[in-house]
Amino acid sequence: MGLSKFKHVKIKGISTVVPEKEINIYDEAQYYGNNIKKIDRMRKIVGFYKRHVVDEGVTASDLCINAGEILLSEMNIDKDSIDALIFVVQRPDHSSPATAYYIHDKLKLSKNCMAFDIRQGCTGWVYGLYVASALIESGAAKRILLLAGDTPSSGVNPADRNVAPVFGDGGSATLLEYSDEINKSYFNITVQSNGYEAIIKPSSGYRLPFLYDESDKELTEYLTTPAGNKERLVDLHLDGIAVFDFTMNAVPSNIEDLMKHFGFNRENIDYLMLHQANKQIVQTLSSKLGFSDEKAPYYSFEAFGNQSITSIPIAISYNIQEEMQTTEKRILASGFGNGLAVASCIINTDKIYCSGIRMFKKPEDFLDRKQYIKYWKEKITN
Amino acid sequence: MKKEEFLLGLEDVLQREEAVKENDILDDYDEWDSLSKMAVMAYYDKNFGVKITLNQMKDIHLVKDLINLAGDNIQ
Repeated sequence: MGLSKFKHVKIKGISTVVPEKEINIYDEAQYYGNNIKKIDRMRKIVGFYKRHVVDEGVTASDLCINAGEILLSEMNIDKDSIDALIFVVQRPDHSSPATAYYIHDKLKLSKNCMAFDIRQGCTGWVYGLYVASALIESGAAKRILLLAGDTPSSGVNPADRNVAPVFGDGGSATLLEYSDEINKSYFNITVQSNGYEAIIKPSSGYRLPFLYDESDKELTEYLTTPAGNKERLVDLHLDGIAVFDFTMNAVPSNIEDLMKHFGFNRENIDYLMLHQANKQIVQTLSSKLGFSDEKAPYYSFEAFGNQSITSIPIAISYNIQEEMQTTEKRILASGFGNGLAVASCIINTDKIYCSGIRMFKKPEDFLDRKQYIKYWKEKITN
Repeated sequence: MKKEEFLLGLEDVLQREEAVKENDILDDYDEWDSLSKMAVMAYYDKNFGVKITLNQMKDIHLVKDLINLAGDNIQ
C-alpha cells in the first residue's frame, strides 16, 4: 500500500467537541512532590499545561455523536443520504458489538447505511479519511460520515506521571462526499510493527483477560518502573523515549516520501497539521521538515493535551477555523502513534463547514456507572 | 559550535538553573530525566544532524559523554 491517490473525494465539513472539565497541571502538584519547578520544566520542554477530560462514564461515542449531530444539523444534511458511518476509536464502548451500531441508532441513520469501527490510535483520523476515500472512489458510497474520537484519559490513574499529564479527550465528525469534478487527495501509510509494545495496554483484551479469580490480582498489582513510576498491567504502558525515537525517524521520512512522490514542496502546502503528541515533538518535526510554527501550529496541545485520534481535527479547528470556511486550503496532515505507524495525507479543501471547538453536551438519557449497572441488571433479570 | 556555547545550550535544554560544567556527572542532576533525554535527542538532531540512538542514550552518564557524541560539531 504505502502511497496512494484519490481523484473524486471531497471533504465537506469538520466538527469537533471537547468535554468541559479542564485540568491544569499546576493543580496536580501533589503528584510531582509539590515541585513547581519540575512542572515549570515540563511545561517549557513538552508543553504540559491544560487538558480537557471526560466525566466518569462518558465515552468516545458520546463525544462523537455530539460532534455528528452538530455537523449534520448545521450543514443541513439529510440523514438518509449517508451511505456509511465509520467510527475510528481506540477505546470502544464494548468489545462486542461494534460501537458504530450504537452511534448509528442514536443518530437515527438509515438501515441502508453500513456502520463499522476502525481500531487505531493517533493515526486514526487519517486512516479513517483513507478508508472513506477508498469507498467513495470505488463507487461503493457517495457520502460518508467519519466519526473519530477517543477518551485516552479514562481509567488513567492521576498519579501515573508517565501517562496522566499527556492525554486529553475529544470527538470529531468529518463529512466526505463523491465529487464529479476532480479533487485530488494523497496518502502515505507506513508501519513499523516491531514497535507494537512501545504503546500498549498489556491486559486490555483477550490476550490477558480477567479470569475473575485470585490470579486477577497480578493484573492490578502496582509495579515500579526504573524511573519510579507506578504502573499496573491494566494501565497504558508508554515507552516515551522509544516512541520519540520512532517519531523523529519515521514521521519525516513518511512525509518527505509523500511530498516527493506526488510533487509537493513546503511552498505549495498551506499548513502542516501534525498529530499533537506534545509541543516538543510537533516543534522538532516541523523544524526538521522546514515548516515554521505558523504553518505547523502546536498551540492546541497546551490547551487540550494529546487528544489521540482527535488531535488533528482539533488542531485545524483551533488554529484555522475561519480560513477553512472562507478560502481554499491545501493541508498536509500526519498522525503517528501506536502500531507503531504513521498515516499522512495531503487534502485540498474549498470553503468547508468548520464548527470550531464546541463544548460537549451530555445527552439527556445519559447513564452514569451506577445507573448503567442498574439498567443491565434490570434488563437481565426481568 | 564552541564548547561554552554548547554548555549554555545544554543548560537551556535541561531547563537547569545552575550552570552546566564540562566535568559534571549528568546522572547526579535532578533534571537528567526522560524529558531531558528526549530534549537532548531533539537538540542533537536539529543542531548537529546527529541522531542519538536509544542504546547510545543508555551509555550517557557525563556531560563529557554528550560532548564526545557531538564529535567535530563541538570545538
